[in-house]
Amino acid sequence: MTATLTQTDAVVSVGGLTKRFGSFTAVDDVSFSVQPNTINGLLGRNGAGKTTIMQILTGQDFPTAGDVRVFGEAPAENPRVLSNISFIKESQRYPDDFQPRHVFESAPWFFENWDGDLAARLVEDFRLPVKRRIKKLSRGQLSAVGVIVGLAARAPLTFFDEPYLGLDAVARQLFYDRLLEDYAEHPRTVILSTHLIDEVANLLEHVIVLDKGRIIIDEDAERLRGSATTVVGTRSAVDAFAEGREVIARESVGGLASVTVTGLDDASRRQAAQTGLELSTVSLQQLIVRKTNAPDTEFENPS
Amino acid sequence: MKRIWNVARLQVVNRWTILWIPLMILGFIWLVNVALWWILSSSLATEDFADASSGMQWSGASFYIFVYMLVIAAQAMTMTFPYALGLSVTRREYYLGSLIAFVLLALTYGLLMTGLSFLERATNGWGFGGTMFSAVYFGQGPFLERLFVFAVAFLFFFIVGTFGGTIYMRWRTNGMLTAGAALIIVALAAVAVITLSESWPRVGEWFVASGPTGVVAWMLVPTALFSLAGYAALSRATPKS
Amino acid sequence: MIEEGKPIFVQIAEQIENDIIGGRLAEEHQVPSTNEFAAFYRINPATAGKGVNRLVDEGILYKRRGIGMFVATGARERLLEARRMRFRDEFLTPLLDEASKLGISPEQLTQMIQKEGVTP
Repeated sequence: MTATLTQTDAVVSVGGLTKRFGSFTAVDDVSFSVQPNTINGLLGRNGAGKTTIMQILTGQDFPTAGDVRVFGEAPAENPRVLSNISFIKESQRYPDDFQPRHVFESAPWFFENWDGDLAARLVEDFRLPVKRRIKKLSRGQLSAVGVIVGLAARAPLTFFDEPYLGLDAVARQLFYDRLLEDYAEHPRTVILSTHLIDEVANLLEHVIVLDKGRIIIDEDAERLRGSATTVVGTRSAVDAFAEGREVIARESVGGLASVTVTGLDDASRRQAAQTGLELSTVSLQQLIVRKTNAPDTEFENPS
Repeated sequence: MKRIWNVARLQVVNRWTILWIPLMILGFIWLVNVALWWILSSSLATEDFADASSGMQWSGASFYIFVYMLVIAAQAMTMTFPYALGLSVTRREYYLGSLIAFVLLALTYGLLMTGLSFLERATNGWGFGGTMFSAVYFGQGPFLERLFVFAVAFLFFFIVGTFGGTIYMRWRTNGMLTAGAALIIVALAAVAVITLSESWPRVGEWFVASGPTGVVAWMLVPTALFSLAGYAALSRATPKS
Repeated sequence: MIEEGKPIFVQIAEQIENDIIGGRLAEEHQVPSTNEFAAFYRINPATAGKGVNRLVDEGILYKRRGIGMFVATGARERLLEARRMRFRDEFLTPLLDEASKLGISPEQLTQMIQKEGVTP
């Protein structure tokens, strides 16, 4: 496989990116591009390589091999590129004894588009105690700090790396709502990594799925939705139906079997119904779970 | 350039770490010293106290404030650096901005200590002949000389702290141990060479002849070396969590 | 509201179509903006836009510059006609196939329909 850079007007352009930590290959020959002013999901199991890729895209870490372009240039130690990026990590560290107010005081110095009013509103929405030391904040409050910086910075390229660990469901929904709201008013490129796929599925325009450092899906979100169907019925009927089709997953219990197949058109659907098979939809999360052979629970635990 | 200056601002954003705590430490040490002197002067006869006083010339009480500066600098590297990277600052911007901040802080604290050393003289050692800010090695001589000695000393500790912090960020504990071992070996080698060539008397002479100002001026050399080494180490450091 | 397994923009387009057919969105009246749809359904504005644009391409909606999206004249009738076609393909054709398999002629079928279709 040749490493090629795709589309020079893309915001992010990665070709043949590889990152090794000693003998461990975290990112393996990855190539993709990200279009401007889109919300992209970088999905995958824990340890799939999402954070590593984001760290390389933001110049925080360095590639072992491959080509990385952000806004057309290599990002590492490049103030022209970096001043247009915000990257809020799940494990972001803050200086000792800092309080959230120090963060909201210093962040604007580095982000031209910072909106102080938005930050203030978000502080209220998340009920964040700005004068408490960051060391003493709960996991959810710590995540809120990161989320507020990521949203208020309005950086042309905004990364969120699992930013809502510790946030309860209400706070997470708040984050999605505010993100969509602000994105509608001020379009920018967003890359969001998460393992909570179903929650963000409706926000994403483009989906990249990583597994063990490799890309297994790189697709328009809408095309992915409805691309797969689960067919359930007696084992013989199911097997007959699945003959010659692309099967992503297969399960059976007793005399019943189910397969998840792609690319069913209306005619095939009618044929399935006539043979007494039941069809059910496959959510984005389920689709990705099946393709990465992950246990369902991997994508459900929000912590 | 604006971003580099903002990094300098970032280093001093938290007044507690950078101002109030060092002042509190200084104040506390001063109080402890004054209390000691008061106890001594009330319990000893005048001549005995004069003897004890002359010994106190060598007071290293204010040394702790220098050590604290080392700690601030090391923490700046291990905690403020990952934060700065999160704000999309480059390593170069971060290092230069931090250097600027430390130079300014060194000057500020230098001024403070110089002022206090004059005050100490003026109050005749706080009324007890105490010498906390004007021991033999510093706080003597004209204003600029005192300021120079204090400021460069502070800067040295800032840079060494930064260097330590950088080694840790790049190579973690193993790096620290290796660097520490390397420095000890270098020091031992120096001691060995000096001892074997019986040059200690000459070393002593040099110290006396140069005076605090001379010695401290030479300290600028290792300061510069450590700062270059620190930047080299930082250039490939990552904020591993 | 938003189902799994079907592209969201299709669902948005269908929802608007349903509203037009059901009379909730009248012809020559304004339709909510893309951002309003996005906020309401909690979806990406680009996706909402895609659904709206599909209807613009089909001539169901049109854009008035500086104001917004409007329902085109005759949109309702066009949609109903399209739905009738789909009804024929999805229900009528299979019905006729099944009937002929069972030996029921179209005339017999019509009689059955008329009998069943009488509402009590």
